[in-house]
Amino acid sequence: MSGAFDFDVIARTWRYLFFDGMAFTLRLTLFAMAGGIFFGTLLAMMRLSSIKPLAWIAGTYVNTLRSIPLVLVIFWFYFLVPYIGAWVLRSDTPIHVGAFASSLLTFVMFEACYYCEIMRAGIQSIPRGQVSAGYALGLNYWQSMAQIVLPQAFRNMLPVLLTQTIVLFQDVSLVYVLSITDFVGAASKVAERDGRLVEMYSFVAVVYFIACFALSQFVRRLQARIAIVR
Amino acid sequence: MINISGVSKWYGDFQVLTDCSTEVAKGDVVVVCGPSGSGKSTLIKCVNGLEPFQKGTITVDGISVGDPKTDLPKLRARIGMVFQNFELFPHMTVTQNLTLAQIKVLGRSSEEALAKGLALLDRVGLKAHAGKFPGNLSGGQQQRVAIARALCMDPIAMLFDEPTSALDPEMINEVLDVMVQLAQDGMTMMVVTHEMGFARRVADRVIFMDGGCIVEDTTKEAFFGTPRSERAQLFLSKILGH
Repeated sequence: MSGAFDFDVIARTWRYLFFDGMAFTLRLTLFAMAGGIFFGTLLAMMRLSSIKPLAWIAGTYVNTLRSIPLVLVIFWFYFLVPYIGAWVLRSDTPIHVGAFASSLLTFVMFEACYYCEIMRAGIQSIPRGQVSAGYALGLNYWQSMAQIVLPQAFRNMLPVLLTQTIVLFQDVSLVYVLSITDFVGAASKVAERDGRLVEMYSFVAVVYFIACFALSQFVRRLQARIAIVR
Repeated sequence: MINISGVSKWYGDFQVLTDCSTEVAKGDVVVVCGPSGSGKSTLIKCVNGLEPFQKGTITVDGISVGDPKTDLPKLRARIGMVFQNFELFPHMTVTQNLTLAQIKVLGRSSEEALAKGLALLDRVGLKAHAGKFPGNLSGGQQQRVAIARALCMDPIAMLFDEPTSALDPEMINEVLDVMVQLAQDGMTMMVVTHEMGFARRVADRVIFMDGGCIVEDTTKEAFFGTPRSERAQLFLSKILGH
């Protein structure tokens, strides 16, 4: 039976798998993480705002997007973004949006919801007195947030933020539904071309496992190192 | 310096402050005491606008705290405040704690802020701890850093909200000594505390609060001599009894 498998296919195509596929996956993961954390933090600040309409908008946004399967959001954005772009630019025809830009936008918007909830917990974990102390020294809201609350919230939540990023790294493979050549997309193209489905998908699974396992070990160590002494 | 007039405050339907009026003259040390839940911490937090109030006026150096047009951060920068739980910023070193607001709020250069911070750290006797994080200091040391942090802003008045209540007994005096020194140097101070020894040593006036009202507002001598209200007598007998 083992004679039926041909793992040589990996040796023949690894350049394509990693330099095209994995490079895209990593790039999308990193940009989506940065954008997601940035907008997620803003959303968290809105949700916790004493200005009720802001809190409501952020809450509705987060709850809506979290109730829709990611795959749907990916499709939805991919087909909608050209029209929104056209509307924004007052153009008559749908604008052309590349697969990378479209999927990046999707992931930033989608992951922002999850990062938002993490940052919200992080901000709420900072004792109210810390903000009072900042205000008492004459800092304004933005200064207190930037200097006192967010650095501590971010540090408290770093392990969870990274864990969410590991999930994001795996979720990025869903762009495969848009026929984008991410790591999974690249592997499936090879798999279908050479008829080596079992080999390729096993290989992909092993790579994901190694990467995610290593990352989660790193997060565990980091957790111990960065704890703030109180 | 601080003028509180007819201040009332509600949390929903619950009234925490009822028609409180008093003043603190320049250079005066006023001790606010009373049973827990009497509203003394709430009152002192109204003075720099950390707690909003619904009725009455508070002015500090002639500036109205409750006025929506007042630049609160600017006013707060001139009023030092020390908290029960120190509230040093745990992710910053002692030095960073001391210089942050000087740089961000007063616009001082980092050299200037550092020099000021270290001088005041020396004054509270902690010069050797400049590079440490707050978590590595004892409670008493943290509170002394917190006092130095407030003094770095060159405040016109200092508010203390139960500064020794969270401290182990053996650390209370090191903090009180700093406060006594400050009072003797002529700082205008409003101090919420149960430390009657401190009140006896440096207070000019004592305010006794109960149930959200200022029940007694009198000189130290009159307060410790013969408090007029029964509730103040009972309170004193309870905390001086041992």
